[in-house]
Amino acid sequence: MKHALDTVTAWLARGVIAFLYIPIIVVVVLSFNDSEITYKWAGFSTRWYGKLADNTELLAALRVSAEVALISATLATACGLLAAMGMARLRGKGKALFSGSLFLPLIIPEIVLGVALLSVFGAMGADLGMTTLVLGHLVVTLPYAALIVLGAYNALDSSLAEAATDLGCNAWQAFRRVTLPLLRQPLLAAWLLCFTISFGNIVMSTFTNGVGSTTLPLRVYSMLKGGLTPEINALGTLLVLFTLLIILGVGMRQMRRVLVGGERS
Amino acid sequence: MTVTTAQPPVSPATGPQQPGAAGKEARARKAVVTTALLAPAGLTVVGLVLVPLLLVVRNSFASADSYGGIQGGFTLANYQDLLDPIYLKVFGYSLGMAALNTMVCLVLGYVVSYYLASRPPQRQMLLLLLIILPFWTDFLVRTFAWINLLSPGGPVNSLTDAIGFTSGPTQWIPSQGASFIGLVYAFLPTAIFPIYASLRGVDNSLGEAARDLGCGWWRVHSRVLLPIARPGMLAAALLTFIPTLGVFVIPVLLGGGRDQLVGNLIVTLYTEFRNQPMGAAASVVLLVLMVASMAVFGLAARRLRRKTA
Repeated sequence: MKHALDTVTAWLARGVIAFLYIPIIVVVVLSFNDSEITYKWAGFSTRWYGKLADNTELLAALRVSAEVALISATLATACGLLAAMGMARLRGKGKALFSGSLFLPLIIPEIVLGVALLSVFGAMGADLGMTTLVLGHLVVTLPYAALIVLGAYNALDSSLAEAATDLGCNAWQAFRRVTLPLLRQPLLAAWLLCFTISFGNIVMSTFTNGVGSTTLPLRVYSMLKGGLTPEINALGTLLVLFTLLIILGVGMRQMRRVLVGGERS
Repeated sequence: MTVTTAQPPVSPATGPQQPGAAGKEARARKAVVTTALLAPAGLTVVGLVLVPLLLVVRNSFASADSYGGIQGGFTLANYQDLLDPIYLKVFGYSLGMAALNTMVCLVLGYVVSYYLASRPPQRQMLLLLLIILPFWTDFLVRTFAWINLLSPGGPVNSLTDAIGFTSGPTQWIPSQGASFIGLVYAFLPTAIFPIYASLRGVDNSLGEAARDLGCGWWRVHSRVLLPIARPGMLAAALLTFIPTLGVFVIPVLLGGGRDQLVGNLIVTLYTEFRNQPMGAAASVVLLVLMVASMAVFGLAARRLRRKTA
């Protein structure tokens, strides 16, 4: 017999999932609103997308975000892969210490990490700009890249690379032809996750951006302080679409492994 | 494509270990390779996390020059300044908001996770996918979505008008309530994943067994499922509580910037007041709060474990 409370909680759960979607759907719908006022429906129109395409400031910020995300995601994934391979060679305390410090940025509030980096850049007299922005985003994304790549690397059957070596591959060839192809999916997942984390980052960017390196979220944030416009809804819709594509790109199985662990816990 | 054929397997690092000089050389080479592999990530963590954190701690004891920069020296003045009632109010409000947000996220997260875990496997995948999309959606988009909803004359207002709760345009934003909804909305998916991770695969069989043995609904949850979900709940609490303290966008956009969180305080001290030493002190307080809450959660976990054991 099903308990009545089971029915209640099931409906509550469905309600929560709906709660997660209503705001997103409203953004998408209102982005096609012809009205100047976001929430007063005045017929279907795509004019805000046209306005978006003409907004040179936003486009410049989009470019900065894309560049920073591209570079920091690549650096983070590469560092993560190398670290995973290196950690497989470590034993005992050193391994625990290294992995512990690698995941440290996950627990420390991002705002403190941002302040900390700003202090170092200030002490060194470094100009804030693309470089500092990339370094900041590297700090934020590296633990995620390491988390995914480390899991995938440890799940690899090490005898495969050994077999390749026995068959005459040198270490580099074994890596290039056996290990790397086997890790292609998780590496892609790590890269895409890092890319989106960097692309949407606002806290770290607040402290590490400089003149001429305003990222998209920073620009949107300052636009929002002046009030929400249908144009921003149009941008939001494009970002939702972009998220959907990333999720499809990563694949559901990878995604589940990353977020809730392996097949069975 | 480069095809290399029949290279003799003579790599000293992988060949059979030989005693003496050759073995020593292989070990040394292995150490060099390991170091080289770990160097990029290691240097990132040391140079861009650990050293900067130490510098923040150091700066929090420094005095400010006339431009708000770091002047050096050692003083406790920055911490004393934070004891001002204005700032204490920020810390109190932040802790309350974070605690409330954590509680709501845990309850709703548990309900959703239980619902998910008790569906057939195929459905679980689909529902999980449904929760991943909002989780992955840009943080700012998820925040300004609520401006749409809560604007006077907007969808929520129309709804409350229709049921007679309000009449005419009502100012839902900016307000503490709007800020709180934004926080719950931002952190709920983050709380769901770890709870679901600890519940999934275990629910159907164990829950049903407990039911067959005569447990009522409450006992199935309090005696069987909640203890199983506990590690996930604790992870979810940590992933909600500490990050909430550091948020600064939501209180500005949905709360109108009046009721500030620690995150707002730090950003204000750095960017508007340009008082770096005091900003550093506020950051150190946030770090201490983080360590303290981790200790509390850890202690709670241990006590609960002993209780059930």
